[in-house]
Amino acid sequence: MNCHRVEALVSPYADGEVGVLLRHSIERHLRSCAACAAKHRDLLALRARLRAEATYFKAPPELRTRVLALLADARAPTPARPGPQPDRWRWLVGGALAGCAATVLAWVVGSAVVDWRANQGLAAEAVAIHTRAVLSDRLIEVASSDQHTVKPWLSARLDYSPPVRDMTNEGFALIGGRLDTLDKQLVATLVYRHRQHTIDVFVRPESTNAPSTLRVVRGFTVARASGFGMDWLAVSDVSPDVLTAFVERLARADASQ
Amino acid sequence: MSEDTRFAALVLPHLDAGYNLARWLARNPHDAEDVLQDACMRALKYVGSLRGSDARAWFLTIVRHTFYDWRKRNHPPEMVPDDGAAGDLTVDPSAIDPEQAALRSAESRLLSEAVAQLPLVFREVLILRELEDLSYKEIAHVVGIPIGTVMSRLARARGLLQRSPLLHAFCAERAEVNHELSSS
Repeated sequence: MNCHRVEALVSPYADGEVGVLLRHSIERHLRSCAACAAKHRDLLALRARLRAEATYFKAPPELRTRVLALLADARAPTPARPGPQPDRWRWLVGGALAGCAATVLAWVVGSAVVDWRANQGLAAEAVAIHTRAVLSDRLIEVASSDQHTVKPWLSARLDYSPPVRDMTNEGFALIGGRLDTLDKQLVATLVYRHRQHTIDVFVRPESTNAPSTLRVVRGFTVARASGFGMDWLAVSDVSPDVLTAFVERLARADASQ
Repeated sequence: MSEDTRFAALVLPHLDAGYNLARWLARNPHDAEDVLQDACMRALKYVGSLRGSDARAWFLTIVRHTFYDWRKRNHPPEMVPDDGAAGDLTVDPSAIDPEQAALRSAESRLLSEAVAQLPLVFREVLILRELEDLSYKEIAHVVGIPIGTVMSRLARARGLLQRSPLLHAFCAERAEVNHELSSS
């Protein structure tokens, strides 16, 4: 494969959107060509910056309220065409019905939102730690693909011993570990590499029965699972289904060596 | 399930995604809110036809269509060509704070500004890819173009960004400021 061809493909390659054969040829070329490798690095840096820094605009609260009102209108039964003279009662009943509908709706949406919110803060914090680590040179404090090196390093610095497993066989290579502060608590972070993606997995003793949940924050996926008495929180820019499968695999007790 | 219950369950969770797209396409909060509200009304009307899987891509498709209709009504393309020059950015070098933290946020602002100045066809694929994390296939579906076109537009969008004078101007500023800081 020549530089011209690689140049045309480096953008879809950085997105993980080229087929496996093409990917291998590109990888081989990038290993031998410094100029193309630099282009690839620049592209990854740009992608990381866009994901971490470009503004993600949230719907303003007033807009949300207006949309909910729209919905409440749809919920209230359309009143029959009023007769020639204005009918005060119809309006009153209509208003009351709309009010009831709004209350019911608020409750339905509210209960969904409470669960969503509960984890949103944690997810946002995890994503912030992840992007900071990837952008800085503090991604790894103990660099090793050997679980028997990473585990003792972490255990020596924490009051618990997180299970550490290399998953290279399944396409997730353990590349090291570090310590982070998440949710005001010192936690073990395992760093894995999947294709060109970096995955951070925060492991801490299970405090509550954390449900297996998934969030997308600023384009990053946060997937959570429990197992081995630990709470596992994985953050990465890989696709949500891949990350969920991975974290659930990590946390599954029957998978222990 | 009635239409409004379906809407609450399937579309409401993607309100932020819809607003983010509308905001990046329209490039101002006012128009973005109009577009999103309009899109919600359409979504409520057609939510019955949404089958199974991806409510987010479905809703984003509606938001995008609504934006283009709105744009046709309000800004005939021959009058306001979207050549990406319409942003109202002013770079005032004296406003750059020598603190690293401030530099970083100014830098982020310029990055967002550079994205906002991309021509519409490139801007939309970039937002869908980097901020909404859609795959090429999903983007092709939302925008209604072949996957090959998604690929070339994204590559072009990134090329334009990397060459954007906004990013380069800033790098030069920063190099200068860093130099001054280290020499003082």
